[in-house]
Amino acid sequence: MAATAKPSAIVRALEVIAGRIDGFTLRVGRVVALLGFATVIVCYATVYMRYAIGVGYTWTQELYIWTHVLLIMLGSSYTLLKGGFVRVDVLYARASERTRAWIDLIGALIFTLPFIVTVGWFGWPFFIDSFAMRERSLYDDGLPALYLLKGSLLVFAGLLLLQVMAEIFRNVAFLLGGTPLRRAPGISA
Amino acid sequence: MSSILIGELLSIGLLVGAIGALLMGYPIAFTLPGIAIIFAIIGWAMGAFDPTFFNALPLRYWGIVSNEVLIAVPLFVLMGVTLERSRIAEDLLTTMGALFGKLRGGLGLSTVLVATLLAASTGIVGATVVTMGLISLPAMLKAGYDKRMASGLICAAGTLGQIVPPSTVLVFLAVILQSAYSQAQMAKGNFQPDTLSVGDMFAGAFIPGLILATLYALWVALNAWLRPSSAPALVIDETEKGGLGSKVVVALAPPLILIISVLGSIIAGIATPTESASVGAVGAIVLALIKAISDHYLDRLPPATVQRALLYLWSSVIVLLGVLGLLAGGIGVLTLCTLALVISCIWIALTPGLAREVGTRMHGVAESSLVITSMVFVIFFGASVFSMVFARLGGDNLVTEFLTSLPGGINGAMVVVMLIMFLLGFFLDPFEIIFVVVPIAGPVLLNMGIDPIWLSILIGINLQTSYLTPPFGFSLFFLRGVAPPELTTRDIYIGILPYVAIQILCISLVWFYPALATWLPKVIYGGSP
Repeated sequence: MAATAKPSAIVRALEVIAGRIDGFTLRVGRVVALLGFATVIVCYATVYMRYAIGVGYTWTQELYIWTHVLLIMLGSSYTLLKGGFVRVDVLYARASERTRAWIDLIGALIFTLPFIVTVGWFGWPFFIDSFAMRERSLYDDGLPALYLLKGSLLVFAGLLLLQVMAEIFRNVAFLLGGTPLRRAPGISA
Repeated sequence: MSSILIGELLSIGLLVGAIGALLMGYPIAFTLPGIAIIFAIIGWAMGAFDPTFFNALPLRYWGIVSNEVLIAVPLFVLMGVTLERSRIAEDLLTTMGALFGKLRGGLGLSTVLVATLLAASTGIVGATVVTMGLISLPAMLKAGYDKRMASGLICAAGTLGQIVPPSTVLVFLAVILQSAYSQAQMAKGNFQPDTLSVGDMFAGAFIPGLILATLYALWVALNAWLRPSSAPALVIDETEKGGLGSKVVVALAPPLILIISVLGSIIAGIATPTESASVGAVGAIVLALIKAISDHYLDRLPPATVQRALLYLWSSVIVLLGVLGLLAGGIGVLTLCTLALVISCIWIALTPGLAREVGTRMHGVAESSLVITSMVFVIFFGASVFSMVFARLGGDNLVTEFLTSLPGGINGAMVVVMLIMFLLGFFLDPFEIIFVVVPIAGPVLLNMGIDPIWLSILIGINLQTSYLTPPFGFSLFFLRGVAPPELTTRDIYIGILPYVAIQILCISLVWFYPALATWLPKVIYGGSP
């Protein structure tokens, strides 16, 4: 009966916010995805210089570590949006749309949120310690500002938090009688 | 109750709770750390867990993401996705089918051959099973193959990517077992421990992977010989035969060159896995670009002309590679690869309409690679929380006591760990299993004196077996998704059984003759006997 009733303003607001967050995550993900190619090219260039020309710079070796780390840290919320995280779907696949929404809501609240808070809580001193000594590469020709890369763990937590909030809003909205959820198909490696 | 006892009880509770929570169906990457954090808080409240252990978490994550060896993982993923999207598998399957189809059992043999090649290049199991299910299965059914044998073959051969290098599972196993292995050796008084490299793993997996592929092929041949009606020859009309030779070269040469150079350079120890993977990824991009260019002209010029141009192109690439490789070694090969990349990029940029199309396709590759890569690493993050909390609650002691007290000593412990992994394989991905089980059980097994390469290869084949065993094997579901309705689920389940037997045979072979896994790495890298 809730489904036939006109969705309330709260439901609409939750859906709009979730949609906005999705749009943001999508844009971030599309740009971050290019870091994969960047990692390939920088790593390949390093190999080429070493084997073909016989020169090696520490900064190129560190640059592809940067692109690789940033790909994971900034790209994970996109993976969440795309439904890329694998589930044990023995029961989930057979559950009703409503049950699935409950599972996703409860899971987000008791599993994902505490995990993100833990990463953020313990990641903060990790960043601050590095920042306090303005940590840079150990090598003279390495990259500066290593603390920024270490701080990306906090960005990881932040972006993931944002996307989990979107999932929570969407599921709450659905359970309160909002529009049915469109689901990205899960994938398996 | 002492806090140790409470902790050990909680660690058992965590294990049971995790199984229950995972069955709920929430993404595994977050369920594992979530449930662990809940038990850590309970343990903290009861004085059985020290929350400062969590201080080490960021450093652990930093170690995972900035690990030079693990950077090979996104590179191999990108290489695999690029090849998959460039539809190289489709070309291989149709040409090889046409080449061997007129032999009895020929279509089946060509499926095994192509599956092995795909395993050694893309390694993406789901994609391989689906592609073969869409191309080889209809071809075999149309030729009159026994549908159970055909479907079983595809499910089995499609999973070879789990074990055949460059398997990303083996890359992670090398990294996870490395520290446990040196600790185990130090504990025995060897203060200059042998190292464990990805090259070791790949070399170790080489022979068992070939054995599996050979056994599949033998099974097909046996069927074709004893029951000719189960694998009949294909009737090929003369028009299809035309230009088959050049088609074979064009379809087979690119992936073969790529596989040989990537795996060869890793196993021979010329380059690190990360270096080889980056070359492999660039190679895959070059192949994809050339494929896009040739597809572009196939629509506009007579196919025979394009086919001939491609034949000349790839033959000259082979000759050039040979000459340059001999004269200038790696420099020559790398320079050729770079030139090919630059030329094909310019070509695409100058061809009207093509640049946009290729750009969209490559962006799709980047996004899929991002999803796969970050999924794997975030699972590793989550599983690290789980194994850390489990160990610190006292679970590691429990596991050690349990595994060392089993009857049968080392063998008993191995059997139990393998069985657990096999059963977990019904519900979890190989990555999840190795991230959870190996950090906990691996050190115990290595301390008992088990060879890490042997252990890893057995884990690899074991997980592959669990991937294709009914009723829960993932591979069967992948095929079910694309199989025609006349192939019933029952057919798929029965059809796979002989291949499950082959898997068990291969595991037994490696189990009783460990040299099958350990001989090649020893020959290549030396090391203490």
